[in-house]
Amino acid sequence: FLICVAIRANYPLYIRSVPTQGELKFHYTVHTSLDVVEEKISGVGKALADQRELYLGLLYPTEDYKVYGYVTNSKVKFVIVVDSSNTSLRDNEIRSMFRKLHNSFTDVMCNPFYNPGDPIQSKAFDSIVSTMMVQAC
Amino acid sequence: MSVPDYMQCAEDHQTVVVVVQPMGIVPEDQFFRIYKRIASVSQVSIRDSQRVLFIRFRHHYPPENNEWGDFQTHRKVVGLISVTSCTTAKEWPQTSDRFHGQKEVFGSTLYDSRLLVFGLQGEVAEQQRTDVAFYPSYDDCPDVEKRVEDFVESIFIVLESKRLDRATDKSGDKIQMLCVPFEKKDFVGLDTDSRHYKKRCQGRMRKHVGDLCLQAGMLQDALVHYHMAVELLRSVNDFLWLGAALEGLCSASVIFHYPGGTAGKSGARKPSVSSAADAGKRHRPGALTSSGISADTSAEIGRAKNCLSQEDIIEKYKEAISYYGKYKSAGVIELEACIKAVRVLAIQKRAMEASEFLQNAVYINLGQLSEEEKIQRYSVLSELYELIGFQRKSAFFKRVAAMQCVAPTIPEPGWKACYKLLLETLPGYSLSLDPKDFSKGTHRGWAAVQLRLLHELVYASRRMGNPGLSVRHLSFLLQTMLDFLSDQEKKEVTQSLENYTSKCPGGMEVISLPDGLKLSPVPFTKLPIVRSVSLLNLPVSLRPHKVKGLLGQGLSSASPFIYSPITMHSRGDERSKKIDFQWVQGDVCEVQLMVYNPMPFELRVENMGLLTSGVDFESLPAALSLPAESGLYPVTLVGVPRTAGNITINGYHTSVFGVSSDCLLEGLVGVKSSGCMVEVVPSLPRLQLCTSLPRSAHLSSEDLSTSVSLQLFNGETQQLTITLENIGTETLNTLELTSKTLSTKDGISVTGLPVSSPLRQVLKPRTENKPVGSDASKNEFNHVKTLEAVLTFKYSGGAGQVEGYYRELSLGVRVDVEPSVFFTRVSTLPATSTRQCHLLLDVFNSTEHELTLSAKNNQDLVLHASECQRMAIQVDKLDFDSMPVTDHDALRQATVRQQEEKRQQVQGGLINSTLDIHWTISSIQRHGEASVEGVLNQLILEHLQLAPLQWDVVVNGKPCDCDVIADCRVGDAVPLEVKLTNRSKSAVGPFSLTIVPFQDYQNGVQNYDLQDAVTFIGSNTFYIGTVNPTENSVCVGALLFLYTGDFYLNIKFQDDSTARDLPPAWFCLPSVHIKAQEPVEL
Repeated sequence: FLICVAIRANYPLYIRSVPTQGELKFHYTVHTSLDVVEEKISGVGKALADQRELYLGLLYPTEDYKVYGYVTNSKVKFVIVVDSSNTSLRDNEIRSMFRKLHNSFTDVMCNPFYNPGDPIQSKAFDSIVSTMMVQAC
Repeated sequence: MSVPDYMQCAEDHQTVVVVVQPMGIVPEDQFFRIYKRIASVSQVSIRDSQRVLFIRFRHHYPPENNEWGDFQTHRKVVGLISVTSCTTAKEWPQTSDRFHGQKEVFGSTLYDSRLLVFGLQGEVAEQQRTDVAFYPSYDDCPDVEKRVEDFVESIFIVLESKRLDRATDKSGDKIQMLCVPFEKKDFVGLDTDSRHYKKRCQGRMRKHVGDLCLQAGMLQDALVHYHMAVELLRSVNDFLWLGAALEGLCSASVIFHYPGGTAGKSGARKPSVSSAADAGKRHRPGALTSSGISADTSAEIGRAKNCLSQEDIIEKYKEAISYYGKYKSAGVIELEACIKAVRVLAIQKRAMEASEFLQNAVYINLGQLSEEEKIQRYSVLSELYELIGFQRKSAFFKRVAAMQCVAPTIPEPGWKACYKLLLETLPGYSLSLDPKDFSKGTHRGWAAVQLRLLHELVYASRRMGNPGLSVRHLSFLLQTMLDFLSDQEKKEVTQSLENYTSKCPGGMEVISLPDGLKLSPVPFTKLPIVRSVSLLNLPVSLRPHKVKGLLGQGLSSASPFIYSPITMHSRGDERSKKIDFQWVQGDVCEVQLMVYNPMPFELRVENMGLLTSGVDFESLPAALSLPAESGLYPVTLVGVPRTAGNITINGYHTSVFGVSSDCLLEGLVGVKSSGCMVEVVPSLPRLQLCTSLPRSAHLSSEDLSTSVSLQLFNGETQQLTITLENIGTETLNTLELTSKTLSTKDGISVTGLPVSSPLRQVLKPRTENKPVGSDASKNEFNHVKTLEAVLTFKYSGGAGQVEGYYRELSLGVRVDVEPSVFFTRVSTLPATSTRQCHLLLDVFNSTEHELTLSAKNNQDLVLHASECQRMAIQVDKLDFDSMPVTDHDALRQATVRQQEEKRQQVQGGLINSTLDIHWTISSIQRHGEASVEGVLNQLILEHLQLAPLQWDVVVNGKPCDCDVIADCRVGDAVPLEVKLTNRSKSAVGPFSLTIVPFQDYQNGVQNYDLQDAVTFIGSNTFYIGTVNPTENSVCVGALLFLYTGDFYLNIKFQDDSTARDLPPAWFCLPSVHIKAQEPVEL
């Protein structure tokens, strides 16, 4: 399982999961994980931690999934959910996945025809996510 | 122990449990009233000491939990208060027995008990017993609180003595092994003499004493004991009890650090004199403490060393929980510890760590839980998540709890509770039930999750038996989540909505829920979606016009300047802009909406009407059916303003799927509007126009209300009857009629003749043909020419007239003129008479029909199609000077050129009427007149004009002209009179005339030698003096014919110089023909 989400202002711009069945469950998972993300962001602010570290790490482990988070400086959040049993994905791999996502997201934002706040419908972004999902699964 | 107390918090370790129970039949409400009064005594300051005893009252306490009382003394039931009704003394013994029975339940742990008896009076009630209190009724028990306090104090004494007893138990005697229920079997056969065992006993006892100290208000002592217990138990790996000791340590530290409590508002403690923080300072050796372990020592060791730091509390909690986790049977203890730790962390605002504890708590398996326990568990988890600020997690668990309320395994699902819980989850999913929050642009949020929640709300409210509520929720779902619904879902949602509304139609009222939540109405602004709203002007014929020149006209603008380059920016509020046309009271007014249907199926909108303000407006609702996924679709909503004033279109109302909604424009996004306010002027009459000719569909100009078009031949006359009918409610007071012609490029015009009656008008098209010199331009006449004219009726009446408004009705008349006959050439020939001449007309029939041409006093001329023939008409010369004088005013104003044109026109008219040339096409029953006006030139006009000098010759009393033969008798004197009438503008004369008789033999020979035949009586020469204008002069002579015969008289002018200045045509005297006959024989 792998789910990818880009979130801005706490609503999803992009959400995709493999496989697609039981998507609602992932919606719940990601939605609730935002609590942790917010807590982490506010915590970072207090501690004046390294601002360049955007990777939030494992948000919380559940029985079946691991939820990872990543926040850009403009507070766009990325969340990746992977199957707990998937041991091939280490922290470094997740980190690089987030970086790829972030780059692609930046490209989407550069599109003059993209209206900030609209759901992402970019094919390029989609294909990046697809390749990541293929690699991960 | 299977029943966790989810409300527990760290400071509960300080409390003692007192169970308050009803005994026998006690009315529930009465019991809880008493219970409340009892529970109000939750902390009691003990006399003679600074200590406070905290009590937890429970009306229900599972005995299994009591069994864990040794493990953690705050779980032990130490007091029992029974509440019972007893009306007669007879029942008393039985009641007393029962009370003893009840005591047995908690028997082993009870320190003391009380019985409150209500309703018993008399002898039995008189007896003084410490453990029983008698009250005459539930309302009459003033000293309940006092009794409870006494009871608490007695508990305290027991507690204190137990504490002292255990604390001094250090002597080498055998220490009792405290254990939890599931351990009991483990100790069977264990060597009780081993060091290990003894240490274990010691450690457990230490921990137990710590508990007691904590309960007895000796915080510092408790800390010391816990520390010792931790060390002892750690050395023997007694993990369960080690966990308990650590937790005790944590609890004591928490009580020290957070005197306000950790349970939040609901558990807030009354500020007490000996609140834990300063307990050490204030601690004075009291009567009871002095004999025990020195309180002073505990105070010294005190805070600094024994009390855990805030960081350490969490560490120790973690440790304790990890130890508890080793024992499956201690799940409840572990869970409760987690909850307690979370509460502490919440106060410390360490949400992340708190969430870890909670996460752990989620996974603690307590075995088979009842449904109710599950609900409670999820609710508490939700509350705790909320406590640490995790709104979403909180909402998630609340939703799970809600679902649990109606789990299929529950025989009586609690839909109300479910609904209530679901409502509470709304903020967590950033969902508000006010549709206004969704009107700003596209919806943004976790649609899938929100959608699910709304569906659940709908279902729950339906099962609750509140269809109105489910309709409201479903409407809300449809309105706000429309973009996220698939086509299939749209269908399903609308179907169920229709099902619901068939029982309970949805409306616009606010639904108030019992808990105070108000559900605002959900207008379906997306069913259909309105893209633009435009108020339509009235049809041209009904538009009101303001009479110009009236006061106030044009001065309505607020600015004092006539013109200012600074334009007022009315940015933003486009809708309040006033529209520059008016509506009329009592007339149907229209507003056009461009709508589209976002649904994948046909959308039936019923009862669609306008919402207005400012004026009484009678909306005439419409029903429409929009095809699936329609494009923009115009919908016209109509209504009748009943009063005058400014009307504002605020919105529209619809009824879709049985839900009626009022959609206000101000709340709509993306609606184009050019303004929604319009003035309604007072009512005006309303005319309907009918014409005798069929209306033409073609309107040459949009200003026209009606138009007729006809096809005529040039010269044809068509009568048009116009009937005006006032179909309005107001009386028509004034009617004004004007006509206007629209010139076309050919220079052809239509002249409206003066109106013969107010309601009749005759139109006569007339072509002004150019003189045609050659046949080459014949083609030109084959063109069909179009003539247009507009008749305008201005009318007014009623209240609108008072305000200065009128209406205009215009009728366009369009005539396609086909050529009929043309005069290709005109010439004149002099006739025999000086007063007449011959007009020669070359007539060309340009029609495709055989045509008969007739002129006055002339034979008909038949012309075949495209045939040209010459026609000669003898006409009397015309006297243009005697033409009717046109209006002097008009003459004065007109230029010379215009005067000339006018004159020519009048002349032409006169010639036309004189000639009176008509054509008839018998084959198609058409007839008309032909005009020569255009072909007449100056030369011909001159020929046709009577000379200004009029000569009249009278022979024998008979005026003579060319063709007139005067008769006379031979031998009789024939008087001859020549009369000159001067019609020219100047004086003429003098002239001299000579009369020469001659005979014409009709063979070219003229015999002037007639001296023998004719004699003059008198001179044959006449003299006429100067004749002034409009005067005349007569000269008279006589002739005597001697023979019979035909004679002619030639009147010649003497060659006079004065006459030469005048044109010879002026001196055109008729020749006189006289027939002399034999005298009549008498």
